[in-house]
Amino acid sequence: MKIVALMKKEFHRFFHDPRLIVTILLPGLLIFLLYFFMGSMIHSESGREMRVYLSGDSAIVDFLGQQIEGRGDKVEWIPLENEEEARAEIKEGKATAILTFTKDFDLFGEDARVGLVYDSGSETGSYFYSLATSVLISVGMRFPIDVQTVQEGGNVGMEILTSILPFLVVTFVFSACMSVTLESVAGEKERGTLATILATSVKRSHIAIGKIVPLSCIAAIGAASSFFGVIFSLPKLMGIGFDVLFAGSYGFLSYFMFFLLILSVVPLIVSAIAAVSALAHTMKEASGYTGVIMIVVMVLSFVSLAADGLGSWAVAVPVLNAVISMGNILSGELVLWQALVSVGANLLYAALLVWLIARMLSSERVMFGK
Amino acid sequence: MDDLFGEEIVRAEALKKTFTLSRKQQKIEKTTLTRKVAVDGLSFSAYRGEIYGLLGPNGAGKTTTLRILSTLIGADEGDAWIMGHSVRKEPAEVRDRIGFLTSELKLEGFFTPDYLFDFFGAMHGVEKSVLAARKQELFSRFGIGSFAQVKVGDLSTGMKQKVSLVISIVHDPDVVIFDEPTNGLDVLTAKVVTDFLAELKAMGKSILLSTHIFSLAEKLCDRVGIIIDGKMIEDGALAALCGGKPLEEKFFEIYRGVKGEIL
Ligand SMILES: Nc1ncnc2c1ncn2[C@@H]1O[C@H](COP(=O)(O)OP(=O)(O)OP(=O)(O)O)[C@@H](O)[C@H]1O
Ligand SMILES: [Mg+2]
Repeated sequence: MKIVALMKKEFHRFFHDPRLIVTILLPGLLIFLLYFFMGSMIHSESGREMRVYLSGDSAIVDFLGQQIEGRGDKVEWIPLENEEEARAEIKEGKATAILTFTKDFDLFGEDARVGLVYDSGSETGSYFYSLATSVLISVGMRFPIDVQTVQEGGNVGMEILTSILPFLVVTFVFSACMSVTLESVAGEKERGTLATILATSVKRSHIAIGKIVPLSCIAAIGAASSFFGVIFSLPKLMGIGFDVLFAGSYGFLSYFMFFLLILSVVPLIVSAIAAVSALAHTMKEASGYTGVIMIVVMVLSFVSLAADGLGSWAVAVPVLNAVISMGNILSGELVLWQALVSVGANLLYAALLVWLIARMLSSERVMFGK
Repeated sequence: MDDLFGEEIVRAEALKKTFTLSRKQQKIEKTTLTRKVAVDGLSFSAYRGEIYGLLGPNGAGKTTTLRILSTLIGADEGDAWIMGHSVRKEPAEVRDRIGFLTSELKLEGFFTPDYLFDFFGAMHGVEKSVLAARKQELFSRFGIGSFAQVKVGDLSTGMKQKVSLVISIVHDPDVVIFDEPTNGLDVLTAKVVTDFLAELKAMGKSILLSTHIFSLAEKLCDRVGIIIDGKMIEDGALAALCGGKPLEEKFFEIYRGVKGEIL
């Protein structure tokens, strides 16, 4: 089995080289440490005293209260009488937020809405905001919260850090894919060890698959490390507990789809980098081309943040489709068919690239041209 | 007198290869031409159990010819057959029947000779049990056993060369193609290589090599072909071709005949 031997070789190369293992796992650890300490710095103190104006009522308020007090802070709920005055108090820092529920609030009701006004410039305000939104999502809210800040510049801070998560994930996936693929494809071509394999009778398509499959697995390990780095530091960063972050509402399906989406992006990026690596003469040239791919991927994953409500045609756009679906999952709005089609589309593109790489491996001009 | 011809193992017929020169290459070659004919209608045959040497000055087209024969690159015109298989139409068949050794093909320094032997054995589809027996035989024969578990990157040039030699014949090919076998090697390592070639010949392999070292050709080759500017000028059994003169003298004679004078 030639293809098995090819794959084994890639795994052997990786798992017997501590340096490579570290390169792959380090980003996740660094992200974790960075976010963890950032979070610790932001949310270092407990013992906050919060004053929150409340309009309408829901059992959620009690749950939210427990969450706050469980973390060593205090909250005082004040019935909302005059919104103008309350806003002014928030601005002056005398009150933390205004939380409004529609009349006869039913979480799954048609016209249920939640409003939140806070000061994104205040630490306590931001803390309350991230805790309240997390709690609402965790109890199964399926609609956006109407959030306003009394600050002029709109919402900054925590919210960005959470909505940017899909983008971060793609970035980490990319860096994991890049280090292994450049080394294995461009490196082997430059060093002349790929030519030695090409001089044997093994099928060129097998060489391509024998590279992409193991490299994707290895990159997926790196991506997972980054992903868990984010997940484990997120609660600390947002100042909330794991129980809130992981509370039932996302459900197994959402987590599973989130991971599947990440996994679908990995072979796509690996084969894209492998394709330019096969074209390039040197590692240096290949990393230059990879820089271009990185920009494309970054742009694609940023578009979804900038432009809300893209049409469903976006499922056909690689990377973008996954980022949109990941964003949907995070805001509790998983559209299963979209996520599945995105995964399928990404894998299809990856397969096309593998075919292209096999063509390049057969091309004398690409492999042996000067 | 030519020897009796044995079974024809390699046959090249009117091979032609033209390279397109990039700007950079034009500068290096000091030319304004955009195309370079590296091999120009080359034909020859090599026979079973013999060592055939392609002789020629730098840039004559030796390496290009051997790369075509080993299916690394394709000829623009003409074709060649290795044991009856066309390099143009059945490259995979050809690859399984030849061992190709050139400085262009490298072994990954990260792996051990032991691992690489098994890996390339698998690439050629050699059965596991056959492979293990072969490894034992070849490693002990060429003294690789003592460093079989050392990463290739940590080996000396001579050891590396031995490993490359052994791995090139992992699949027990009938034909071994060898480009500049002793180039850049010290006398000791060069001897390892020439001994290896003699050994292969004793095993009944057919060998095709290129060189511009006449003493090597005289010592090893049964048959030589002289290439100048991509063309086969003369070829035949060594003794017959030389006609009693040293090979070097004969070569200058031929060269003068083609080029008028020597530079
Ligand atoms: N990939 C290439 N692109 C352009 N020109 C090439 C290429 N490969 C070889 N050539 C040119 O073709 C000619 C023949 O080259 P080749 O390497 O076959 O010669 P050689 O006989 O092996 O010489 P040497 O003794 O220097 O190794 C040379 O002029 C060389 O510059
Ligand atoms: Mg040469």
